[in-house]
Amino acid sequence: MKTLMLRLEPVIWLLFGAGIMLGTLLLPGYLLTVGIGGPLGAFAADALSYDRLHAMATHPIGGILFRLVLLGLVALPLWKGAHHLRALSVDFDGHHRDGVVGSLLYAIATVGSLLGIYAVFFRL
Amino acid sequence: MSDSKKVRFVLTRFDPDQDQVPKTQEYEIPVRPDWKILDALNYIKDEVDPTLSHRWSCRMAVCGSCGMMVNGEPRLTCSTPLSDYGDVVEIAPLANFPVVRDLVVELEGFMDKFKAVKPWILRAKEKAVEEGTHRQTPDELHAFKQFSMCINCMLCYAACPVVMNSPEFLGPAAIALGHRYNMDSRDEGSRERNEVFRGEGTVFECSYANECTEVCPKGVDPAAAVNQAKLNAVVDWATSFVVPRGGGK
Repeated sequence: MKTLMLRLEPVIWLLFGAGIMLGTLLLPGYLLTVGIGGPLGAFAADALSYDRLHAMATHPIGGILFRLVLLGLVALPLWKGAHHLRALSVDFDGHHRDGVVGSLLYAIATVGSLLGIYAVFFRL
Repeated sequence: MSDSKKVRFVLTRFDPDQDQVPKTQEYEIPVRPDWKILDALNYIKDEVDPTLSHRWSCRMAVCGSCGMMVNGEPRLTCSTPLSDYGDVVEIAPLANFPVVRDLVVELEGFMDKFKAVKPWILRAKEKAVEEGTHRQTPDELHAFKQFSMCINCMLCYAACPVVMNSPEFLGPAAIALGHRYNMDSRDEGSRERNEVFRGEGTVFECSYANECTEVCPKGVDPAAAVNQAKLNAVVDWATSFVVPRGGGK
């Protein structure tokens, strides 16, 4: 398992790095806008209504970009979290269990990402 | 120095012929206000207890041999003023290394990591002498100069939480040195080094605690080198699927 993780490390690190960028820099802004700004009336109440967003997501061209953004919001923080938790586990004297813990965390991130792909591209 | 201030030094002692585990020994000595930590250690060895073993050489933060834990932090003892500390100073051998004796640590594993990153200029074909020298612009020099300032004092290994937990991790100084050659415009060995960076002891083990950069006495910023090396290793890995690899040795 350790060997497999080592070989996949460039991919894992890329997803983690993207997750850091998104989760640390962009997600707070997104949450601030949608999660707090919206309820406080920063924009029209129906701006994010289901019909409007669904129309956006199913737009032949812009829809693909919109879905990719949604997928990024769902999947990348999972990789950021998985990698952070793995590093945390190692830091707490968990080097010997890194194979199991790491694989488990990345498995969760993989399943979450696949579910995200399914939800975004096949259910919208 | 009879009327001068006294400081109590708590030194880690270890004699491999007698001790199972390291112990501490205390020395109270008169000190001068302009002393560095190393001056105190030398005073103890010369005037109080000649059995004390510690490494040092240049006294000017260049040779990198006098690194020790001073009150729990990795420091070059020759450049650390005693006046920064109080009446009790604890000195121990560098953390994360096997101890040979007293304050002296084993360098073997560290040296192996250095060799692993091939810290010399690799060329596919050596330039003939009559073709002249390899010229570099100031920008090309700037790309790696900072990373070439390392003095191999190993403070970064003593500070690194990843080295502590993963002894096989290449570590800050070795990766910074490998990266230094990868960034050198005269060098053609980055593919080989990137394979080392992705192999066992991989650069990706670094969790960016940044402690190496915090303790570096020469401003090398190993954490920056390690994280630039990560990106380069990823780009190199990705391009290996697109650009065929041949020769390059």
